[in-house]
Amino acid sequence: MRLSRRTFLAAGLTAPLAACSTPQRRGAGGPVEITFWSALRGSQQVVDAFNSSQNRIRVIFQQIPSGLQGGYVKLSNAARAGNAPDVATIEYPQVPGFAIDGVARDITDLVTDGLRRKLLPQALKLTTFDNRMFSVPLDIEPMVLHYRADLFEQLGLRVPRTWDEFAELAKTVRDKDSAKRLVLFPTDGAMQFACWAWQAGAKWFDTAGGTWRVTMTDEPTRKVAAYWQRLIDDDLVFRNAVESRQSDAQIGQGLVVTRLTGAWDAGAQMRARPGQKGKWRIAPMPVWDEPVVGTHGGSTFAVTKDCAQPEAAMEFIEWQVSHPAALTARLKSGTSSQYPVAPGLVETGSKAFPREYYGGQDVYQLFKQEADKVRDGWVWGPRMSATQRVMQDGFARAGAGRTTLIEAVREAQKGTMPDLKALGLSTEEGER
Amino acid sequence: MRSKLACAVLMAPFFLLLTAVFLVPVGTAVWLSFFGADQPGLGFGPERTVFVGLRSYVAVLSDPTFLNSMLTVVLYCLIYIPLMVVGALTLALLLDSGVAKLRSWAQMGLYLPHAVPGIIAALIWLYLYTPGISPIIDLFAKADIRINFLGVDTVLPSIVNIALWSNLGYNMVIFYAALQAVPREVLEAAVVDGAGPVKQAVRIKAPLVRAAIVTVTMFTLIWALQLFTEPVLLNQSSPMISARFSPSMYIYDAAFTRNNYGLAAAASVILLAFTIALSYGVTRWTNRRAAR
Repeated sequence: MRLSRRTFLAAGLTAPLAACSTPQRRGAGGPVEITFWSALRGSQQVVDAFNSSQNRIRVIFQQIPSGLQGGYVKLSNAARAGNAPDVATIEYPQVPGFAIDGVARDITDLVTDGLRRKLLPQALKLTTFDNRMFSVPLDIEPMVLHYRADLFEQLGLRVPRTWDEFAELAKTVRDKDSAKRLVLFPTDGAMQFACWAWQAGAKWFDTAGGTWRVTMTDEPTRKVAAYWQRLIDDDLVFRNAVESRQSDAQIGQGLVVTRLTGAWDAGAQMRARPGQKGKWRIAPMPVWDEPVVGTHGGSTFAVTKDCAQPEAAMEFIEWQVSHPAALTARLKSGTSSQYPVAPGLVETGSKAFPREYYGGQDVYQLFKQEADKVRDGWVWGPRMSATQRVMQDGFARAGAGRTTLIEAVREAQKGTMPDLKALGLSTEEGER
Repeated sequence: MRSKLACAVLMAPFFLLLTAVFLVPVGTAVWLSFFGADQPGLGFGPERTVFVGLRSYVAVLSDPTFLNSMLTVVLYCLIYIPLMVVGALTLALLLDSGVAKLRSWAQMGLYLPHAVPGIIAALIWLYLYTPGISPIIDLFAKADIRINFLGVDTVLPSIVNIALWSNLGYNMVIFYAALQAVPREVLEAAVVDGAGPVKQAVRIKAPLVRAAIVTVTMFTLIWALQLFTEPVLLNQSSPMISARFSPSMYIYDAAFTRNNYGLAAAASVILLAFTIALSYGVTRWTNRRAAR
């Protein structure tokens, strides 16, 4: 009696499970099927272009939510259940985490020297750990300064080249129009803050000694935190989440005069606010002393542990990151302005990206110049999403005047260490 | 013999369920908390499952975000439980005293929110709390009162409010039922001795439903320590609610966003131990008071 009931239950359970598992790969003769998950805009167009360019590999694409909106949880759970897609999109900060969890496989031997030569070494370094490569970078996104050329003219402002000039300018803007601010300090912007720290020479994570050395409040980070804290305390910047209606209103109504984000955001801005066409320009991010920058955003492609056809998966990845048709397809979707890791594609990007929105400016030439200035030596940590969240919890309270930025960073380190220790990683803490 | 068999058959479903939904999960959590999928050094090598002893427990207890979540839930209990018990008891006494008119209507109106699933309740309140869409905030704004229900200091009271709204009616019904069992002759004696309705309620009825008060306190405590649904939902619109706001949220975050099952399991076991200890404490304390 119980036995038959159990088999009945088992049959009932397996039927729906079988129905939702990944499609079976076809046998000899037909094309190899590769499943691909991404949250990147324009991916469908890229996949379509790839599928029609050849008939040996057929990519089945699924759009998933962006990483922190559930995309990463979906990927981890799929991998845990043994049905991760063959190729997944992972942003730089999350690469070490997925590598440690064994979701992204070691692809050192799959990446040809030819492909390696096509890509910027400073990007490859960010996906290589322990001399092993875990994913192939698609784009590298130096932070740039987006500014309202019309408002700059109206208020008689000059584009700032250094952070000192930037702070001066913040005061000028506030004094000239008390409703306006130069920029927003994003309370949900741990990644922007990381970029500023990166530029200043911070090294939050270091793997040099074969152990994770975590030093999130090093001298450069303290300098950056103190800088922004002063802007906040003097009421020279807005302080709210950037992913919010409040921020949309600030940009939409022209209350915020500049934006500090990665190169990719030029396309997102274009799509989100078509009405501001011709008003924006892009300039290099302000610098301290050395002409270096950090990055904000950027994605990579990993071959997962569940992939049965790694060579085919790698062929698709190689095409995506280095073939001009891939970039053209993505830019044609009209929502992207990614800066490719393959310098050979810059000309393509420069041609394909519509220039009207930025008043005829060739933004790709600027991105190229900035991408070469990305500072060497930055390493992302093993649980970056969590570190980011804890930091942003602190930033939100700092924005409300309840704590300071540096304290939020310190809390982020304290909230990260137990995680790393519980994962059994060899860790070491720097000053905090 | 026959009665023993009947006893076994009747008890079997209980023990089966207890094993399936309590003992096995708890056992799994304990097991998970003592093992880890380790890789040496930086962690990029192949994994192997090893016994890690108390490592996960040490990590949880040294995590300031976990300790903060415990502190938050304790604070929540300190606000919520007294309000709930006193509120529900007061309402039950009012209904019982006959002061309230339309007794059955009042009872139903108060009970109805409990029939609304927690997630729906949280959604309703999320709507009422969110600036820009909330009619309540608009109304306050018209009277020139600026209120942010999801600010640094208001977010905990806002959650307490949702929980009260959901559970007040339920607990009131328990108290009301207990009050029905208070012997009428005792009350008549009180009246003869000159006790008014207030004195009756406070000095006679309330002490006589002590057992119900203890039960309600205990259930409320256990329920409150598992605080999850409301903050998870409000988390989407308030940065003041972190992903590790309460211990249950910490556990969820550890397991599903940090992929750290050992850590999540250890935190679960700690929360379970804490809950058991606190419930035991409450029982002992009330029993001792009863004995005096």
